[in-house]
Formats: sequence, C-alpha cells, structure tokens
Amino acid sequence: MRLDVRYTTRFEYAAPVVESQNELRACPASDHRQQLVHYDVTTTPSSRVSWYVDYWGTRVDAFGVRGPHQLLEVVASATVETSAVDRPETSLPRAAVEDVGFRDRYHELLERSAHVDWGPAVTAAAHRHAAAAGDDVLEVVMAVHEGAADLAYAPGETYVGVSVEEVLAAGGGVCQDFAHLAVAMYRCLGIPARYVSGYFFTRDDATGADVEVHGHGGVEAEVEVETHAWVEVAVPVEEHGHRRERWLALDPTNRQPVGERHVTIGRGRDYDDVAPLRGAFSGPAEHELSVSVRMRRLAREPLGGVPGSGTSPQHQQQAQQQQ
Amino acid sequence: MTALFDDYDPGGPRFFDEVFGPTGEVRPHYRELVARLRSFTPQDLDRREVIRDRIFRSQGITFTVYGDASGPDSADEGVERTFPMDLLPRIIPVDEWATVEQGVAQRVTALNRFLDDLYVGEQAAVNDGVVPRWLLHTADGFRREAFGIPVPHAARCLVSGVDLVRDVDGTYRVLEDNLRNPSGISYVLENRAAMTRVLPVAFAQQRVRPVDHYGPSLLRALREVAPPAAGEHPTAVVLTPGQFNSAYFEHAFLARQMGIELVEGRDLVVDEHVVYMRTTRGLQRVDVIYRRIDDDFLDPVVFRPDSALGVPGLLSAARVGNVTIANAVGNGVADDKAVYAFVPDLIRYYLGEDPVLPNVDTYLLWEREQREAVLARLHELVVKPVAASGGYGMLIGPHASDQEIAIFRDRIEADPRGYIAQEVVSLSRHPTLVGEGFEGRHVDLRPFAIAGETVEVIPGGLTRVALRKGSLVVNSSQGGGSKDTWVLDGQPTGA
Amino acid sequence: MLARLAENLFWAGRYVERAEDATRMVDVTYHTLLESTSGEIEASWTQLLEVLHLRAAYGERPIEPVPVIEFLVLDRDNPNSIVTSILRARENARSVRELISSELWASINDLHLGLGARDLRQELAEQPYELFGMIRRACMGIYGVASETMPRDDAWRFMALGRVLERAEMTCRLIDVRHQQLEKLAGPTGRLPSGGERARGTDRADFHDWVAVLKSASAFEAYRRRYRASMDPADVVEFLLLEPDLPRSVVFCLSSAMHQLGVLSHGAPSRAARTLGRVTASLQYRDVGELFELGLHDFLEQVQHRVGEVAEAVADEFFRHHPGGSMQAVATT
Repeated sequence: MRLDVRYTTRFEYAAPVVESQNELRACPASDHRQQLVHYDVTTTPSSRVSWYVDYWGTRVDAFGVRGPHQLLEVVASATVETSAVDRPETSLPRAAVEDVGFRDRYHELLERSAHVDWGPAVTAAAHRHAAAAGDDVLEVVMAVHEGAADLAYAPGETYVGVSVEEVLAAGGGVCQDFAHLAVAMYRCLGIPARYVSGYFFTRDDATGADVEVHGHGGVEAEVEVETHAWVEVAVPVEEHGHRRERWLALDPTNRQPVGERHVTIGRGRDYDDVAPLRGAFSGPAEHELSVSVRMRRLAREPLGGVPGSGTSPQHQQQAQQQQ
Repeated sequence: MTALFDDYDPGGPRFFDEVFGPTGEVRPHYRELVARLRSFTPQDLDRREVIRDRIFRSQGITFTVYGDASGPDSADEGVERTFPMDLLPRIIPVDEWATVEQGVAQRVTALNRFLDDLYVGEQAAVNDGVVPRWLLHTADGFRREAFGIPVPHAARCLVSGVDLVRDVDGTYRVLEDNLRNPSGISYVLENRAAMTRVLPVAFAQQRVRPVDHYGPSLLRALREVAPPAAGEHPTAVVLTPGQFNSAYFEHAFLARQMGIELVEGRDLVVDEHVVYMRTTRGLQRVDVIYRRIDDDFLDPVVFRPDSALGVPGLLSAARVGNVTIANAVGNGVADDKAVYAFVPDLIRYYLGEDPVLPNVDTYLLWEREQREAVLARLHELVVKPVAASGGYGMLIGPHASDQEIAIFRDRIEADPRGYIAQEVVSLSRHPTLVGEGFEGRHVDLRPFAIAGETVEVIPGGLTRVALRKGSLVVNSSQGGGSKDTWVLDGQPTGA
Repeated sequence: MLARLAENLFWAGRYVERAEDATRMVDVTYHTLLESTSGEIEASWTQLLEVLHLRAAYGERPIEPVPVIEFLVLDRDNPNSIVTSILRARENARSVRELISSELWASINDLHLGLGARDLRQELAEQPYELFGMIRRACMGIYGVASETMPRDDAWRFMALGRVLERAEMTCRLIDVRHQQLEKLAGPTGRLPSGGERARGTDRADFHDWVAVLKSASAFEAYRRRYRASMDPADVVEFLLLEPDLPRSVVFCLSSAMHQLGVLSHGAPSRAARTLGRVTASLQYRDVGELFELGLHDFLEQVQHRVGEVAEAVADEFFRHHPGGSMQAVATT
C-alpha cells in the first residue's frame, strides 16, 4: 500500500522565544515490511535540518531556530510503500526463551524501563494469559495480545506518565498504554518485546476501521489520524533445522496484527526511545503544542512516474540525495 | 635532631612502607630526602607548614564539600576546604615509574580502542564474547545517545586518572580507571609549585621530572582531536558546571594553564549545528570542548531535560562533526566496576599484550559460585557499588560491624549486578606529618594520562593520603590529603 | 571576551566600590551622630536607609544605631550590606580569576576571608572606626593592586567601568545623605546667610557635617586647598558633583566611564556611550545654584536614574548576547 503522511507539529509561544533546538522522530523506517519513497522536513521559521540514525535505527531530524520567534511549525512529509508480512505459524516451546544466548541477545528488551515497569498485578495478568495458552511461544504471545486488547480504548484519558500497573487497574487507555502494557506482560514472561511508534491509516482510531476508497485513479481524501503505537515480539522458531527469531508485530489497541495500513517510524524499549519530538528553548515556559497527522492512500503505480505527491522523478531524486 | 623519625612504625609485614624497607632501612630513593629532614627541628617543620598554608589559602586552592553539616553555612553552599598537602613528598624511582607509565598508557590505549569500537565501530569485543553485551547495556555510564558520534584518533578518554594502589609486596595494581572527568591534576601542579617553595633545598638536590607541561600537553591533545573542518587553529574551551561545582578551582586553573576560555553552558549556543561562544563582540566559533560536566547534563534535548548546565543542540553539533566533546560521551560504561573486571581481557583482545599492571582481584556477583563464595567471607572483602565513585557506599569487611555486613548481604542478593567484591588491598603507607612527628598513613597514586594522537602519562600524579589513622579511604571528599609526587630522573645517588 | 565574564568583571568593580562607599556613608553617619539627640539619630539613619534604597528591606525593626549598623554592615540577608557586597565582589572575581591578576584575586579574597575571621558584631559595638577604616583601606588597596598588576585590556576596562559608574551613583547618595541639612541651612540659593545671622550652636555642628561629608569622600584636604576656610554647602556640592579633577566627583567618574566605553566599543556606535554623554552634559557647565533651586534631592535622584540607564545600555550592548529567559524543555507526550 502506498501512503502519503504529513506530520505537523506547531509550537505557539505566549511570548517570543529564542534558541530553540529540537529532534524529530517522524520518518517512516525502511525495513522488510515497508519502503520509504520520499521524505522531507521543513520548518517555519526555516532552519538547517540535519539527520542521523539513532541507536535503535530510527531516523532523527535535528534542527534549531536561534532568532526570536513566537511560532514554530515543523512539517514532515513522507511517502511510503507498505506490505503485509507472513507471520510465523508455529514456534518453539516456551522453554526456548530461557536460552542463555537468546536472553543475552535481547537483554535490553527483557529489562524494565521507565514506562515499562511492571508490578505484581501486571505479572499476575501476564501469567494468567500465558497459563490459558498452550506451550508454544506463539500461542502465549497471541494470548497476551488478546488480553492486552481487552482494555477499553479511552482517548484523552491518559498521558505518557501513567504506569502500566495504573493502566491495568484503570482497564483502559490510549494506544501508548496498550502498547506499554503488552510490552510489560511479554517481558515479565521472558519474551523480548519492543515498543513501536508509527502511523496507522484508519478513519477511526477506536475501531481501526479502514478508509473507504473514493473517486477514481486511486486518489482518496486525506484522513486526520493520530500517531500510533504497537508492539513487536521476538518469537523463537526453528527453520531449516536452525534456531532463529521471527519478529511478530501486533497492534493490541485494534486487536489485530500489524499490516499494510501500519507505517513504522521507530522501535525502542518504550515511548522515551521514540518520542516524536524533544527539544528546548529559551524564554517564558508558556506554550501550546499541537500535533496533526494527515494520511492519504495512493494508487500503487509501476515505476516510471505517476501523478501525485512524492512520486515524481524529481521527488525521487531529491529523496535519494537526502539519504 | 633525629626525633622526627625515631618513633616511626613502618608497619612491619602488614603494609608496604614507601620510605622504609622491611628491616627499617631507608629505601635508596628516599635517602637524600630523609637525611635532609633529619636535620630539621620541629620548629623548622612548623615554619614550613605555615608557608605552605599561606600559599594555598591565598591562591584560593580549595574544593567544596557538600552534605557536610559541620560548618555554619554548610547545607546549601557547601564548605570550602583546602586539600591539605603533606610536607613530605612521595618519591618514585625511575625504573618503577617506567612500569607505571607503560601500564597506564597500555590501559588507556586499550580502553580507547574498546570504547571507539563500542560506540562507532563493529563492537568486536562484544560480538566475540570478551565482555557480555548485557553487562554493557546495564552499566550506568552506557549512553545510547553517544552512538555514531566520532572522536578523531579514537581519543575518547582524552584525560584519564587511573587510580593505583600498592599491595603488601609493593605491586602496583589498578583500582579504577576514571575515564569520565577525573580531577586532581590542579593539585599535582599546585603541590609542585608549593613544594619548590616549601622545601627548595631538598627539591634542588634531586633531579625531579617536571609536571608543568600538563597544560600545553592537554591543549595539544585537544587541538589534535578537533574536527578536521576546524582548520589550522581550532578554538578549544573548558566547559564547567560553574563556580559552585566542587572542582571549579581546577576548571579555572586548567583554562588558565592552557590560555583558553573557561565557559559555562549558558556561554555557548548552537546555530545550524555549529557551537559558538557568546563574547562581548558577538558569537565566536568553538571547535573542541573539554567538558567537566557529566554526560546527563550536556544537552537537554538529548539527556536530562531539566539540565540548566548544558547546551541545547550540542550533541547534534558533535554528531555532524562540527565540534569534538572531550572526554567523549559514554565513557562511563568502562568505569562501571564490573566492566573494570574485564579490562585485562580487553587489553589482551585489542592489543594482543599482557596487562602490565594487574587489577585488584575482583569477584562478579551475578555468577552464583562467586557470589556464594563472597557472601561466605564478606568480613574479609571490600564490596563496592558498581556505579559509585569517590569512595562512597563501600563496605570494608574487616572494619564493618555484623549489622553492616548483613545489610550488604541483602543488597547483594537483591541486586548482584549492582555490586562487586574485591580482596582487601592493604594499601601501602607513607610517613605523613601528624601533629609533631611522622606516622604511617595509607596512600594511593593517580597518574594522569592524556590521549590525543598518542598517549602521554604525566610523571608522578596525585598521591592521596588517608589522613585518618588506619583509614583506607583517600578521597578528597572524605578527609583525604595529598602529597607532591616526585619521579626521579635517573638513579638515586645514595646519601 | 566572554560576555558573561565581562559582566562579572563589571560587577566585581561595582561591588568593591559599593562596599567601600557604603562603609564611607555608615562611617560618616555614625560619627556625625555621636553627640546628637535621639530624634536626630532616628531621622539620620532613616535617611541613610532611604538613600541606599534599603528602607523597605530593613522592615519593621527599630531604627536605632546598633541594629541599623549591623544591618548595613554585616547582615548576610541584606543584599547590599557591606559583607554581602564583598562576598559578591569575591564571587564575581572568582569567576573571572583567569582574567585578573592573581594579586588582585588574592586581595579581594583576603578581604572576604579577613572579615569572616573577625567578630564584626563586637567590633561594631566597641570600635567601629577601626573596622570602617580597615574596609576602606582594603578596598582602596584592591584598586591599587588592580591598577598596578592588570594590563589595560578589556578585562580591566569592564571592571573600571563598573567601578566608576557605581561611584558616580554612590557619590550622589553620599551628598543625598546630608541633603536635608544642606537645604535647610542653605536656603534656595545654596549659599549660607552672612555670618552675623547664623546661630552659633548650629554653625559648629554644621561645619562638622560638611567636614564629615567631604572626609567620607576623601575630599576634605582637596576642598580646603581649593576653597580655603569657606564652608558653603553650594561649594561642597559643586566640588563633589562637578569638580573635574576630583577622583570621587560625579563628573570625574562619568568622564572616566566615557573614556572606557569609547575604547571598549572601538568607535562603533554605542547607545551606552550616547546615554552617558547626555547625562555628563547635563552636569557639566551646570551652575550649582540652579541645583538648589531645582531641588537637590530630586536632581541627585535623576542623575542616579540616568547612570542606571547607562548601566542597562552597557549590559544590552556587551553582556546580553545570551537570552534573558530560562531554558525550557519540550517534548510531545
């Protein structure tokens, strides 16, 4: 699926500020499941944007505005080609996650982190889900996924500071809470799990419903969405006689596997590793921050230039030069 | 006139005495000095102490101790103390120094290779299983934010202060590497300056290797690690947390020694990924920052958002290659006391050499057998938290109460990765002026190494003295003093 | 030079001067009041607190010599006490140690440590003259050391600039301390009535006051050489405000500031220099009689206000390459 994403962050300050420095994590990753076709970042006031790939493999755009300004707008525009991937049908038994080499390799994704700091209730819930499943790791993973998905989607009721124990007790939350809780339950069962941030192409964040195709030529109306979060789990499998891991991506908020409508930005231990924007400025603290994400599905076109944003040869050339 | 040393107890077989041999004879490299001191009356010593105190106080050579509620204005402001220099210098003969110098340079070279490989390389030592990946990931000083930030010549530990102790047979052993912001070099230089005035004759009689090239050497190394784009005359600065920091005196001292600006975070600003300092005539570009601020405070965009000491955008500028941060970000991973245990292996792995200076025997407590053996004999061992420095939070088994031992047993069982245990090193002793005469006090040695294109070790270093009788804790923050440290140039002539 | 350090040098200069001048004012007030009635004493100390802009900070405490003097001299909670000024001078000097001579640092540090080692409360109670003299001499010693050991570079100039601007303000205040007595006696012209009309008792006391004011500005001998035995308030005011050759006169200080600013700004257009030029011109060629007609107190306040504007302009021009506000962190949540 070819998707256009337009991510906009606006800072409106109560009084002019200076010396703003920021890092943005909004760029769709290129990996086995998706390919970035075009990406650019512009800021108002304008700035020199420099980018790098961080420890977790996420592209980070760094920029600063030194002079006085009362409004800072950052627009990240991306075109990305996504696909659904096969999920493993079976996996090794649960004992496989105890393997020393496996645990060493994924140590970081088994430890607690700031937002994934489970207590007795989360541990008990995880073990309850696991006990109800079979001995296969994959079955345990799916059982926990279903368990996490049982939370009620409650937009606007939480913020990133909520602990996973509080989320479980409240029985609901936003996508970040679903993801943190699921990651916590996996980790306390010894199954490596990472937090994924991204975009999800849907007309309804609560249900995850698809967007209907309108009109002709594959051109559709834009939908306004929010940044989304889900989970990836390392599942030990045996293929051709060799032990290896397959990453399984699951979206507990929408109780579905991650598919073509999911656009991955980055992965980490929890939200802090992939927070879309971090920064600092000098001046009075009072400011308003607003974020908007607009997405649009494009027709999949063969190579060789098609109408539409981000896919012209010129755009592709620019994209190459920038990467 | 021999009273000064008459009652001196060299400590017999329990300790290695730096000045007196096992049968009470003066070691050859101390003979001239001891002979000179024997001619002193107590009044001579008093007079020299007065001179010393005046020099130190009028130069404002102080450090600030926080959390010591003994002073009237302590609580917030801290108490300013001088770091008392003992009148009797420590002397290291040339052959002994050659070993120390070689060993320290070897260690720093290997650690630079390891850190560079970890943060911008292939992580060969990890992939080859020399040091466990999980161990690095759980080290306090490990900084994911430092990945991909280059340092020319891999000189990540531009300044190291490797702490050495001598065990009962006089063998130098490495206790800590101090690869982040080692302090104390200012005392080395000031002690030397004071000593040449306090004991000018004794000093003149011996050929003592100079130390006052430290500033120029440090500046040379800083310029060597400037980004290639900086050109012929890179601008280097010293970045300090400010005058309330306990080592502020040293920061100012080093800036003066190098003739470069001493800046605070608020003096710097980043514009289009270039670092500038704010001057009375506008912004001036900065190429190298010798920072004496902890990693977490360097850049609020990347690290602690509440840091008021740092420079927003600094890491981005470093990543682009517009500025070099020295010491490099993330060195603390190798200061973790459990990672320290792997340094001899890292020397073998990266340099293909055997370590010149051994570690202190260290036990890793997440391994069940080692842990159980340690727990069975806690009263004979030293236990340290892996992330602490400055001598805080240690258990010294032989001096500990049953209750303290029980507390540490619980701590180790709850968090075996969080502690290491070491055999007690009974630290060599050195005659030190206490009241009217000399008594043996425990000492260590912190030589300073500077790494730019090559590694240079400054002759001698800081000898710290545990002034409290019997104490093994030499840290300045805990009642330690210091000694001028002489490396003799050439063999002693005998007296 | 780093903007922040320039600012600290400027303030080191100001604080040493502030400590010295405050000492002079406390000294003169204390010694002129030795033989006064309690009503005069309260009025004089109140006036000194007001002139130093410390009346509100002093609060509800009784206006009596001991608590007021202790407040002005050794109260660490008083941001402008002599001890606090010296502490701040020392903190500023400490931050610029690499820019000043070690002798200068040592002389400031010694004063700070020396005061810390003394029992100031007891000395104030028993022999304040000694203490005030020591502080004055130490402050002058600091300038002497600075003058003899510092190259005439920008560091020197920012410190000298701070010092003369502070002194200009403080000399205004020094005159202001006695302005009521001056005006009361002098009448609208600033000239004393002829000798025959004066009451003998006040004469002697007034003479004592003028001498004290002049002495506190180290200007008594110079004044006598200039004006002989005459002791007109107008002459005293003229001398302290307008005498171009007297190092503590306001005009002298402003001219000196003008010189430092000219070098510091390298001939570039400077708002600070323009502001300073205007306030200097308002003093030069001024007839002192006019000042009494205008109201001496108001005039002195006005000069102080303008000197304050100069300091603001200096800060804008040289020190404020850094933003005023605090640093804020932001993150999406």
